[in-house]
Amino acid sequence: MSLGPEEQRTLASVLDTILPPSKQGQRAGAGGLGLVNHIQEVLAESPIMQPIIASGLAAAQAAARRRGAGDFETLPQDARQRILEEISAEQPDLLPSLTFHGYVGYYQHPDVIQTLGLEPRPPHPKGYEIEESDLSLLDPVRARPKLYRE
Amino acid sequence: MSEEPVDVLIIGAGAAGAAMAWSLAETRMKIVCLEQGDWMDPDDYPTTRAGWEMERFGRFGFSPNGRGRETDYPINDSSSPIQISNFNGVGGSTILYAAHFPRFRPGDFKIRTLDDVADDWPIDYDTLAPYYDQNAIMMGVAGLAGDPAYPDKDVPLPPVPLGKLGETIGRGFNQLGWHWWPSDSAIATREYQGRAACINLGPCIMGCAQGAKASTDVTYWPVAVRAGVELRTRSRVREITLGEDGLANGVVYYDADGLEHRQEAAIVILACNGIGTPRLLLNSANKDFPDGLANRSGLVGKNLMFHPYGMVTGVFDERLEGYKGPTGCCIMSQEFYETDPARDFVRGYSFEILRGMGPVSTALWGMSTGHLPWGVDHHAAYDEIWDKTAGMVVICEDLPEERNCVSLDPDLVDSDGIPAPKVDYRLSDNSLAMLEHGVARGREGLVASGSIFTTAEAPLPPAGWHLMGTTRMGRDPKASVVNEWGRCHDVKNLFIIDGSIFVTAAAVNPTNTIQALTLYIADQIKKNLTNLFE
Repeated sequence: MSLGPEEQRTLASVLDTILPPSKQGQRAGAGGLGLVNHIQEVLAESPIMQPIIASGLAAAQAAARRRGAGDFETLPQDARQRILEEISAEQPDLLPSLTFHGYVGYYQHPDVIQTLGLEPRPPHPKGYEIEESDLSLLDPVRARPKLYRE
Repeated sequence: MSEEPVDVLIIGAGAAGAAMAWSLAETRMKIVCLEQGDWMDPDDYPTTRAGWEMERFGRFGFSPNGRGRETDYPINDSSSPIQISNFNGVGGSTILYAAHFPRFRPGDFKIRTLDDVADDWPIDYDTLAPYYDQNAIMMGVAGLAGDPAYPDKDVPLPPVPLGKLGETIGRGFNQLGWHWWPSDSAIATREYQGRAACINLGPCIMGCAQGAKASTDVTYWPVAVRAGVELRTRSRVREITLGEDGLANGVVYYDADGLEHRQEAAIVILACNGIGTPRLLLNSANKDFPDGLANRSGLVGKNLMFHPYGMVTGVFDERLEGYKGPTGCCIMSQEFYETDPARDFVRGYSFEILRGMGPVSTALWGMSTGHLPWGVDHHAAYDEIWDKTAGMVVICEDLPEERNCVSLDPDLVDSDGIPAPKVDYRLSDNSLAMLEHGVARGREGLVASGSIFTTAEAPLPPAGWHLMGTTRMGRDPKASVVNEWGRCHDVKNLFIIDGSIFVTAAAVNPTNTIQALTLYIADQIKKNLTNLFE
């Protein structure tokens, strides 16, 4: 399944509604980070999701137009959020699917990972340092009598 | 196709098969091990690449039913609240285990005597102690001496670091007066026997790219192969065959291309785990054993034990750096291990403190527990949980019950057409009461440690890691499948060495005990070679 240009714009806006830019601006919204491509890759591998997303995007666009907006993406965040809540009543699989895959793509993105205080890299080969343990914390446990039965 | 006969044939290259191969190699007998999986490539483990967190839902998932690997066999576990988790390859389930490596305690081997439940083992802790010591050296166990929950024991490596998370929980447990101790861990905390030191990658449960975790493909197997043992991968055994003399005389197996082979052997040793071993015995039924090979007791496949798990997660108000360090190895507690007559259950449980989660896992955990909304409030909520979670699992002692069993599924087969196993399992009232108690105490422990709020799930569905009891050991052939040194009562040259032979489950991870038991059985085989089949 390949989304057309209008569907891609709507999807980007839906993703920005689910994962908007943070208030302090340190994290971009999911649409702005280009997660449309991530979702399209998921759709390519998951045919079962294709009708869910296609009908959901169409419903979002239709709802926006019923409100007099030209397109879904022209609405403010709170209006877009209300539309997604409304259409999820009739399309219960839409938001769980997009939220799950949106979170996966978002929290793997190097720009987002950096905002969490991490280097944007896999764990191997550099690994992580952990400070020396304070084993004096075990003193009360060491002082206990044996805890097992013979 | 018929292969050259061998002295010893081991089926399965996991925790037990590897230890047996290594121990018997000194006899200079011709030894072959058949393994249905492949050698693993550490460069292929998920932590080497971006997107690593999601691979636990794919090729490196716990369940063989969801991994999509042709080296696995399917398991019908739809009649169990706990799903089976195992791995097929050189190293077996040690490839994906957490390497939490406690011993059983002395009392675990005689709970009939102590608590009037289940049965005593036909061997005791003192018998196994030297083999635990030997296994600690071979696997490279990290730990700390002086734990009052155990008899004195030596480990060759210093303990895994507590980290900020472990110290936080330790302080909380101290407030409550609870036992806790750094986990015995099969992890090289220093360079050890050619293995690199642990660099705190995090998810040991998806394979260790560093080679610091003691999966048997990097511990026992290289030594055993150098000593002359032949390890034949992509070799899936269909059945064990029986000679006119009533002894096992070999197996029939399929190679990677589905071609049938015949391998004759003087001794056959099963090391296929608590599901795979009864499956193979049941698939080896013949005219002398119509109900399954070595099954005159009727107990092959019966008495399946897991460790029912509960999971408690606490959210703290400060970062815990929990993404650093071995996920499943931090600290453990055995405060509630022994029977207490004041409780409404017998026996007890351990706590195993888990480290934190990665960014994606944090988001998905928040989503699944309802603590992470989408929309304008998302980021503030995420910042409240990112790197601020600590997990704790309750590992309950399961008791053997014949109704919990492994049989052959009437329809399901693997890619070679071999009937697949079916698992029927129910949690006992005792286990349910124990889980409830453990979750409540777990919440209490996390709150004492500073947790703002906790969530819990019990039983934990994907936690069928520990597979025990399905060919139990004992001296009475009517009440057990193998004798006190792993030899089948009914077939004198057929041995079983995996968790199937456990009489009871204790409340700790079983791999260390599986391997200590294997090394003990290997010594019995060596000592009795001249009259092994009498």
